[in-house]
Amino acid sequence: MQNMTELTTEQPLKKKRFRNLRENPVTVKELRSRMRGRRAFVVLTIYLLVMGAFITLVYAAYASASSGPFGPDPREVGKVVFGCVVGVQVFLVIFVGPAFTSGTITGEKERQTYDLLRTTLLSAESFVTGKLLSALSYVLLLVLAAIPLQSIAFLLGGVVLEELIISQLVIFTAALTFALWGLFCSSAMRSTLGASVMTFAGALFVTIGTPMLVGLFAAILAPFIATLGTSFTRTMEIALQYILIFLAATNLPATLIVSEVFLLQEDAIFYFTGSAGTSRFWLPTPWPIFILLYLLLAWVLYWLSVRNVRKIANR
Amino acid sequence: MSTIIEIQGLTKKYGGLTALNDLTLTIEEGSVFGFIGPNGAGKTTTMRILTTLLKPTGGKAWVAGHSVADDPRGVRRAIGYMPDFFGVYDDMKVWEYLDFFAACYDVPKSARIGMIDDLLTLVDLNHKKEAYVETLSRGMKQRLCLARTLAHDPQVLILDEPASGLDPRARIEIRELLRELKNMGKTIFFSSHILSEVADICTEIAILEAGNLIAHGDMEEMKKQLRAHRLIQVKLLGDLGPLQELLLQHEAVQGITPPGEADLPHDVVQFDFGGNDETLSNLLAQLIAQGIRVVSFHEETGDLEDVFLQVTQGIVN
Repeated sequence: MQNMTELTTEQPLKKKRFRNLRENPVTVKELRSRMRGRRAFVVLTIYLLVMGAFITLVYAAYASASSGPFGPDPREVGKVVFGCVVGVQVFLVIFVGPAFTSGTITGEKERQTYDLLRTTLLSAESFVTGKLLSALSYVLLLVLAAIPLQSIAFLLGGVVLEELIISQLVIFTAALTFALWGLFCSSAMRSTLGASVMTFAGALFVTIGTPMLVGLFAAILAPFIATLGTSFTRTMEIALQYILIFLAATNLPATLIVSEVFLLQEDAIFYFTGSAGTSRFWLPTPWPIFILLYLLLAWVLYWLSVRNVRKIANR
Repeated sequence: MSTIIEIQGLTKKYGGLTALNDLTLTIEEGSVFGFIGPNGAGKTTTMRILTTLLKPTGGKAWVAGHSVADDPRGVRRAIGYMPDFFGVYDDMKVWEYLDFFAACYDVPKSARIGMIDDLLTLVDLNHKKEAYVETLSRGMKQRLCLARTLAHDPQVLILDEPASGLDPRARIEIRELLRELKNMGKTIFFSSHILSEVADICTEIAILEAGNLIAHGDMEEMKKQLRAHRLIQVKLLGDLGPLQELLLQHEAVQGITPPGEADLPHDVVQFDFGGNDETLSNLLAQLIAQGIRVVSFHEETGDLEDVFLQVTQGIVN
């Protein structure tokens, strides 16, 4: 057997990082396992068939409900189809992506392969990146596979290119962050069950819990604001609008809906001019804030996951 | 020979429980070091600390000159580790499994193909190269895992109970493999509670009990030190009476076990002998001179189980 100590190489960091992304052993292994056999292709086919059937059903329902003499307005149908596909993508990135990642590190622990990996030269960064890329690539494959279905909306009209680009940018960012949330839970917990519960609890809280909390606070604060009457200054009104946009930017469905509304009503891609009394001021649309916020969160979650993997156990 | 593993005052505590107590040990390069002790003695704890998987409460350790606390990457480059319980990726082929771990050890792609063939030949799994890992028997998985530990040609192999749970044939295969690795110049540090498997291949042993090092050293030396007298067995043709009479009169004979006792055959007498080789030789000459028909006359070397029982006597209880 040749001397392998000579074969393990110390390469320049930049070159190595690039190589790690391209040839990350964890990504190669996971993708090889995931795409092996018929399972992945069967899942993809079923997913597209269900999506196709769903869109056909929506179209049929909309057509039968239409009372116009020339049938349904194709632009209206296009919007509905677009909305449905985006809705399914949102579900995918919030629940399916984290489901892939939440069991990926705990799975290694339960399978008793984690220690084997920890004693290799594989860095914690490569390990986490590999796990993330492999899980994310399949989710992104599902998201991308749905784009041709979205294009039906273009054929029907009523959807502009900006809507598609903004929605996909937001969804890709959310996919990354939610996948990293699952990965972080997986790195922090010992069992897949625990990691899954933590992941879905977090995803549900961010998606449904925060709008409910905001609604609750709004309901509590509304009578108080009403009593302020004229003393409710313009500055406070402007601040409130900024706060509402920021709150919308913390939530994926709210970001997509509010950005869509601003795009259609105000023709605003990045910002628009808001008003409070006679004052006019610039208001950002939520999606750029969402992207910045979620990218920052993704970076923090990545860093925490790496730290958890790197940590030498005390027990 | 130089020291390849050095452990100084290593201690591990889990709350109030001391799993490892002030362990100090050195292991020479190229040796086969058996780490023996009952379950819960602290063997796995020591190995997990040496493989950078566990943080010690106190003390220091170095592997191939790298500190386990300060240079875990250096340690990982120098070791191949096989835990007592390990999993395999069932949805991988045998060659893919080795290729994956070789990649994790930064072995360049171009070198991996030949290396995988070499490793599979070494562990006699070449015929299973394209098989899925899930189809392998337990013994084969164990050999595959051993091949995995060699993917980066490490200096030291740390093997935690490498033959546990295997049938006798698979156990022999692992033992032969360890011999082969020893011949390749690897330092092997392995734990076991099956004493016979340690006795066959070890050059050094350490006995651990309840987190404490009880004995440590060259195996043959330890056997000699621990046995103050020698056990001699004599097999005869004919009457055993004259032999027993003669032995009772001999000053160096400290006790006789007659035939039939202590699992002795009906034609064998065993005695404790306190003399040196010359006295023993004279005794044999005396037996022959007196016409006692000796078929065999040999010293029972005793096995590791005797050593283990002697050194752990009282501590276990």
